[in-house]
Amino acid sequence: MLIAVVLAVVAGLGLIGWYTARAKARLLYTGRGSMRATANYHGLHLALWIAIPALIAFAVWTAVSPGLVNEAVLADPAAQMLPASDMERASILAEARAVASDPSTVAFNPLANRLAEPMRSAQTQFGFIGIALVLICALAGGGYAWTRIRADFPARSRVERGIMLLLLAASLIAILTTVGIVASLVFETALFFRDVSPWSFLTGTHWSPGNAIGADIDDNFGAVPLFWGTIYIGAIIAMIIAIPLGLMSAIYLTQYADAKVRRWTKPALEILAGVPTVVYGYFAALTIAPAIRDFAASLGYQNPSTESALAAGLVMGVMIIPFVSSMADDSIAAVPRAMSDGSLAMGATRSETIKKVVLPAALPGIVAGVMLAVSRAIGETMIVVMAAGATARLTADPLASMTTVTYQIVQMLTGDQEFDSPKTLSAFALGLVLFIVTLILNIIALRVVKRFREAYE
Amino acid sequence: MSSTFQSDAFMQRLAKRHAAEKRFRLLGLGAIVLSLGFLALLLFIMLKNGLAGIDWQFLSGSDSTEASVAGVWGAAKGSLLTMIVTLAISFPLGVCAAIYLEEFAPRTRWIEWVEVSINNLAAVPSIIFGLLGLAVFINTFQMPRSAPLVGGLTLALMTMPVIVISGRNAIKAVPPSIRDAALAVGASEVQTVFHHVLPLALPGILTGTIIGMARALGETAPLLMIGMRAFVASPPDGFTDPSTVLPMQIFLWSDEIDRAFVVNTSAAIIVLLVFLMAMNGLAIYLRNKFEVRW
Repeated sequence: MLIAVVLAVVAGLGLIGWYTARAKARLLYTGRGSMRATANYHGLHLALWIAIPALIAFAVWTAVSPGLVNEAVLADPAAQMLPASDMERASILAEARAVASDPSTVAFNPLANRLAEPMRSAQTQFGFIGIALVLICALAGGGYAWTRIRADFPARSRVERGIMLLLLAASLIAILTTVGIVASLVFETALFFRDVSPWSFLTGTHWSPGNAIGADIDDNFGAVPLFWGTIYIGAIIAMIIAIPLGLMSAIYLTQYADAKVRRWTKPALEILAGVPTVVYGYFAALTIAPAIRDFAASLGYQNPSTESALAAGLVMGVMIIPFVSSMADDSIAAVPRAMSDGSLAMGATRSETIKKVVLPAALPGIVAGVMLAVSRAIGETMIVVMAAGATARLTADPLASMTTVTYQIVQMLTGDQEFDSPKTLSAFALGLVLFIVTLILNIIALRVVKRFREAYE
Repeated sequence: MSSTFQSDAFMQRLAKRHAAEKRFRLLGLGAIVLSLGFLALLLFIMLKNGLAGIDWQFLSGSDSTEASVAGVWGAAKGSLLTMIVTLAISFPLGVCAAIYLEEFAPRTRWIEWVEVSINNLAAVPSIIFGLLGLAVFINTFQMPRSAPLVGGLTLALMTMPVIVISGRNAIKAVPPSIRDAALAVGASEVQTVFHHVLPLALPGILTGTIIGMARALGETAPLLMIGMRAFVASPPDGFTDPSTVLPMQIFLWSDEIDRAFVVNTSAAIIVLLVFLMAMNGLAIYLRNKFEVRW
């Protein structure tokens, strides 16, 4: 493990640097007020100067070196026989890399075996260069900081400025992630739209990427059945379960239950939200789906399928219950007590107060909560993968098998096709649609929640 | 007057309203009982199917095509390695970001963008993180497929916003008087935060971190995208070995045609749920033990 070794070496050097610099700074101390910073800060200053340049050098080198290794290998005489196509070339190089790192594996392609030796020597060579580079940066940084250890050097404010930069860098990672998501989705989607027109993707009603070859490729990437399946399972069936149950649970817990019941029931409901989705998926496939199939058979369906929109939607609805209930709980709690007290004082019963006063006042918050719940339901993957089925069809029959956007993303990316095929790329286009829809839902919901809170504060 | 309130019509109406009240109340109770009943049914079925499958062979073995010798240790070790990577990356980054945003960040447009982006990342479907991991870590950086390293990185990006949000709340809960006292005796702003605010906020941050890690431990979809569905006959030895994780093992076994794997799948679910409950229990314990009401 190269990374572990480098990190350990850098940490060790930093520790040594910190200790010696502190010792040196202590010698400078001649009495109260003789130094601008304590010895410890001089030590930290030096340690930062050792660690940060070294780690930056290591990061840069890790990003650059695979390319350099590949170039060195391609310069080898044996590499002249490599095929011209980039794709095949990359796969043979990857195989050679595997053989180089573990000689016991046998490559499928004989050329890869021959390239393994130059690959290994190039890797060793560049590995040493990299380690040397890291050490040089560490020592140069440390050397520079060493010359700064003087009584009038403001080591503390320098260290604090460094820490501040580190904190800033950490918070920029969040933006980097968002940018990374958008960039990678948009990039791959653009590649997809070179082959398939966006219009037929968004409005076509026939989805069978398996037959997508040649001129009629546009006709096989119509995603409307997927969108419909997603909405039907996630926004309709699941919500029919989750909204009444979640809302009524929240009402009962906030308005009727005494503190003791509430203390035990609320965490128990939250367990529902903590159960991994793969467990729900298995439960749906093992228990709910066969029960629904038997039910369908008893209704006189011919050959009901084991996978049905109802099974997936039902279980998904249960998964969403605690989500709806905690959002509703918050919104109901935010309604000023004076409002419900006023209603009760007029002689209304509790349920009348809830229905006519509390719920209307809490409605914006509840609606926002439902929107967040929908956004979570349509992005849910494992339940639909295990219980909803693969057939893309436009139907309103809850007992039929139906597919969703997330199911197809998984389907398109877990096979063994090459990465640039339209089939694989379609997963990214679907991902982009999903991302945009959930983003809009979230932004609207968060706005509504914020305005709603302000209204009662 | 009294005749109005004792008229038959009035009494009937009142009885109706009280009946409606009772119905409404029962409806609420019914909703809770139904939800919890579903949870109980789920747990009961998993225990019924899986309890018989848990023995030493199952806990110490790795995946196999034979249901009776297949075990969960390989996947558990993969989960452990993945979680180590996730924790090592998301915890320091998340805490640093939370400190910066809560204590130091100037109110500029840039910082607003960071906040909006963190709040949205916390609600982005997990499968999108899988697509990011596939496009960036595997296709662009050429990292090995199916490795705990890549899985951990992907999950770290997903967990970080959770840690930032809970961290900010914990830091916000530390009263300003603590900061004022430290600043008044001459501490610098950085010293105030690292010596006084952070230690007081740490239990809250840890609680949020454990909850985020528990979510990451149960996550399957993003790992499916980066190919962590290897058939692992022996436990992975390092961060770059092909491996699988507990939820993925459940998914893989659930696909087996052999009915004998139902026992394995349910048993693996029990193991996973035990881990998750232990983590959540720890989080609740930490919260109760160290929570300070100011």
